[in-house]
Amino acid sequence: MTSTDRKAHNALKTCWNCPSINLAGKVDFRACGQAAEGFDKDTSAGDQLMAECKRRPGLGLFDPMAITFEECPEWLEGPYGFMLKDMRVMILGIDGYLGWTLALKLGRLGYRVSGVDNYSRRSWLAERGGHTIVPIARMTDRLHAASEVLGVNINFRAIDIYRERERLREFLDEVKPEAIIHYAECPAAPFSMIDLDHASFVQENNVLGTLGVLFMMRDILPETSLVKLGTMGEYGAPLTGRPIFEGVFPADAVLHWDDRQWSLGGEMTPRDPVSFYHVSKVQDTFNVYEACKYWWLRSYDIMQGIIYGVHTDEVSADPRLRTRLDVDEWFGTVINRFVSQAVIGYPLTVYGSGEQTRAFIALEDAMQCMVRLINSPPEPGQYGVVNQMSGYYSVMDLAKTIGRVASQEFGLRVTIQRLENPRVEADRHPFEPVFDALPDEFGFQAQHAPEDVVYEMLKLLTEPKIRARILEKKHLICPSTWWSGAKKQARRLEVLEETTYG
Amino acid sequence: MGRVAHVTAEAFESLVLRSTLPVLVEFWASWCLPCRAVDPVLNQLSQELAGCVTIAKVQVDQNPGLREAYEIHGVPTFALFQSGGIVARSVGSQSKGQLLRMIDDALESG
Repeated sequence: MTSTDRKAHNALKTCWNCPSINLAGKVDFRACGQAAEGFDKDTSAGDQLMAECKRRPGLGLFDPMAITFEECPEWLEGPYGFMLKDMRVMILGIDGYLGWTLALKLGRLGYRVSGVDNYSRRSWLAERGGHTIVPIARMTDRLHAASEVLGVNINFRAIDIYRERERLREFLDEVKPEAIIHYAECPAAPFSMIDLDHASFVQENNVLGTLGVLFMMRDILPETSLVKLGTMGEYGAPLTGRPIFEGVFPADAVLHWDDRQWSLGGEMTPRDPVSFYHVSKVQDTFNVYEACKYWWLRSYDIMQGIIYGVHTDEVSADPRLRTRLDVDEWFGTVINRFVSQAVIGYPLTVYGSGEQTRAFIALEDAMQCMVRLINSPPEPGQYGVVNQMSGYYSVMDLAKTIGRVASQEFGLRVTIQRLENPRVEADRHPFEPVFDALPDEFGFQAQHAPEDVVYEMLKLLTEPKIRARILEKKHLICPSTWWSGAKKQARRLEVLEETTYG
Repeated sequence: MGRVAHVTAEAFESLVLRSTLPVLVEFWASWCLPCRAVDPVLNQLSQELAGCVTIAKVQVDQNPGLREAYEIHGVPTFALFQSGGIVARSVGSQSKGQLLRMIDDALESG
C-alpha cells in the first residue's frame, strides 16, 4: 500500500511517545503498576501534565497529545514509518552479530549511532577454541570501513557495561541517546550450562549489566526508550498447548476457580526457561518491567525467535563490514549451524527426535523490526512485549529444507543425523505462538523465508576461504555440553540419507 | 461512530455526562498492562454496541481532575455513566463477558 491509502504505523503517535520531550507539571511516579495514587514530582505547571520539547524549547509547555509525529517537523517520513530527525541511538553490544548489523543499518538510514562493547563475544569464542566462520575486522577497521564505504560515522567506546558502570554512565550522559538498544548480553544456552563458573558468569553479566543500565536511565535518561533483547525461549513450550501470548495475557483469558472467575488481562504469562542463560533473560524481563513501573521508564522487551542469516545490504557492502557467524555448539544457532554443516559434508546435527518446534526470524527481518520499534517509542511507563518472529518450524523440517536447497542448488550431498539430545527439553510438544503486535502495531512485514536466506548463506559459506574456516573448527560442531553436567560427545541415533528425506 | 472515544477533561461533560446514550468509560494509564490488554475488547464492544452504549477512555495522568473527581484509585477502572451519574463500576481487568454483564445488569435494573 502507498502512504496515501494508509498512514505510517506511527503517524498518529504524539509527543507523549517522543523521547525528545520533558514531562512537566503533575508527573506522578507510582509504587504499583495498577494503583493510580502516588506523589507529585513537580507541580510548577499546575494540575495538568504538560510536555516541553527539548528540541524546540521556544514552544513552552503544551499538551503532550496535541502534536502528532505526522505534524511535527522533527519527525520525518522514512521507509519504516516516521523517524526522529538525527535521532541518537546507542547500541550496547555493538560488536556482536546483531549489534554491528543494526549499527550499519541505522547509520545508513540517518540515525546518529553510538555504541559500546567489551569484545566479550570474541573472547568467549576464543576461550572455547572457536572462531567466527565469516571473518570480521577489528573494531578500528570496522569503524573506518563504515565511514569510508557507507559514510556512517559511529561513536564507539570500549566499555564493559557491568564492570565499568561509571564509564558507561559518563558515555550515556555525554551522548544522551534517545533510544538504547540493549544487545550486550551473553546469548548462549549451552555456554551457561558448561559448569557453575559459566552459569554464574552468564547470570551475573546479563542480569546485573541490565540492572545497571536501568538505574542509569532512571537517573539521567528517563525519557529514552529501551529496546531490550529477550528471547522466545523465556516462555518454554507449555504442554497444554495454550497459546504463547506476547508477554501478558489478553483480557479474555479468564481464570476459573471455585465457581468464580477473573480476567487475567495484563498479567505476565508464566515463563518456563530452558537453560540458566534463559533464566537470566527471564530475570531481565522482571527487572525491566519493575523499572518501568517504579520510574516511568519506557521499554520494549523483545522475545526474539532464533535468528539466522548473514546478509544485509550494509554488511555485504565490503568484507570489512561483515558481521560474525558462529556455528560451534555453544554460540551457533540452529539454521546457521546446519548450513555450515551442509557446506563441509558433516551430517546435520538434529538433537533427539527433531520434532522440537521453535520460532525463527531472519537477520534482515529482525533488523526491520528493530527500526520500527525505535521509530515508535513506548509511552511513559510502558513496558511492552513483542514476540519478534516470522514463523515457526520443527528442527527436522528445517534440516530437510536446508538439505534440499544445498543439494538441489549447490550439488552438495547432505545427510541428517539424529543425535542424543544433550538438553533437557520436550521432544514432542504443541507450539502456538502469538506474534501479532509487530505486524499490527508497527507495520512489520516479514520479507524473508528460510529457503531464500539459506540460499544466500550457502553462496557465502561455500566460498573456499570460509569453507576452510568451518573445516578448521569441525571438532566444535558435535555437542558435548550436557544439561545433566556430563561431558561427552552425543551419540548418533540414526542417519537419514538424502534419498530418505528428500 | 462505533469507535472508542478518547475523552479529555474539557470534553467530558459534553461527551459523557450529557450523552443521551449510556457511556462505558475506562480510566486508564499508559504504564498499566491490564489497560492495554483490554483494548481489543473495548474496540469490539464499541462496534457491537454502537448506537446503544458509547465506549470511551480517559487517561488518568493527563486528566488528574477527573481522576480525583471520580475517586479512581486503581486502573483500569470501568465506570458506566447514565444521565450524568455512575450506575456501575469495576476495577481491574475485565473480560468481554464480564463487561457485557456489568452493562446488562446495570441497564436492566435501571
